[in-house]
Amino acid sequence: MDVFLPIAQVFINPVEILLISAIVGVLSGLFGVGGGFLMTPFLIFMGVPPAYAVANEANNILATSVSGSTTHWLKNTLDYKMGLMIVIGGTIGTMGGIFTFTYFKDIGKIDTVISLAYMYILAIIGTLMLVESLGEIDKAKKNIVEKKKLHVHYWIHGLPFRMRFPKSKLYESIFTPIIIGLVVGFIAAIMGIGGAFILVPAMIYIIKMPTKLVPGTSLFVTIFVSVIVTFLHSINYGSIDLMLVLMLVIGSIVGVQVGQKLGEQIDSSGLKALLAILLLIVGIVIAYDTFFAEEILNGTTPISLKDLNFFSKFIKEFSEDMPFFYGLFSILFAVILGIAAAFIRRSISKFREKYFKKPVKQTK
Amino acid sequence: MHLPNIKIPQILSEKKTTLIKTGIFSAIIACWGVILFGTFITFN
Repeated sequence: MDVFLPIAQVFINPVEILLISAIVGVLSGLFGVGGGFLMTPFLIFMGVPPAYAVANEANNILATSVSGSTTHWLKNTLDYKMGLMIVIGGTIGTMGGIFTFTYFKDIGKIDTVISLAYMYILAIIGTLMLVESLGEIDKAKKNIVEKKKLHVHYWIHGLPFRMRFPKSKLYESIFTPIIIGLVVGFIAAIMGIGGAFILVPAMIYIIKMPTKLVPGTSLFVTIFVSVIVTFLHSINYGSIDLMLVLMLVIGSIVGVQVGQKLGEQIDSSGLKALLAILLLIVGIVIAYDTFFAEEILNGTTPISLKDLNFFSKFIKEFSEDMPFFYGLFSILFAVILGIAAAFIRRSISKFREKYFKKPVKQTK
Repeated sequence: MHLPNIKIPQILSEKKTTLIKTGIFSAIIACWGVILFGTFITFN
């Protein structure tokens, strides 16, 4: 049974969307990255136009990062000061990204730009991950123990306006997190991704934050970047489809939980090569779709307002009549879903601890 | 007498690693080949 998306104007199978977003969520929970840059291409393959896939995936990322960030806030593993510095850069980067998006949309090349950006990013990340896994095969075989330098200084560490970040115990230039935020924001606006694959390595290797603060702070930054991306896409292009967002959020939140639980039980480092191969395959399929497949001239199916059901009609009219408030509503919708998911998860784990935890035997 | 017994698993293991490495490099080259070739013909 196909469902009509009133904003994107395409028919999709809700079971397929739920299943794929859950699988991507499992991968994301297992490896810590990959939600956005796998789900957006999958949406495109399922017939959602690229400009809509980007905007709706950004809204989905908002919900999942609110959920993850609430968990880290409850555990107190967040550096707000550092996060806000990255957000300042992220805001400027996102504005630049939306400006670039608008330029390419106006000249009618946005779909090609999104596809090109995806195939190159996926190919670069896939290649780096595979080369790293090759190195690990060699090291494991020869039993090489690598000596790491305690402090490696790059040009970025010599920048002025240094500030103390007590939570991370760092004395760093404010330009370091701002520049990183700038890059992440720009890419997030064009590609509809959270940017964790840039943010997490940059926080560990460039800013040198303590590892336990990295996931929470990265999710905290992603919230702000995806809020701006969602809002700007919504008011500029009216491309947020709450029907699609709801399905994506449910699938990915459930998937991420399963992935995190799996990650606690199995060693995922050996599976990294498989993820890398998956990224390369997705890159090749996007390349084939963009360069060699026959062009589908009209992928959308316009349906008159009268034929829509109540919910679809409400979404369509709301987005057309009040784009500003529809943008705010989309953000609120994702935030509420994210917070609800975090509290449900906490309640479930408390319930399990209370009733299913094995009692520890005391030894005298 | 024992020499071939030791060497054959070693050789097999080395061949397996070489095969995995060749597979990985072929995948990388195939991916970049498709992408760069496609980009080249599209923009020309």
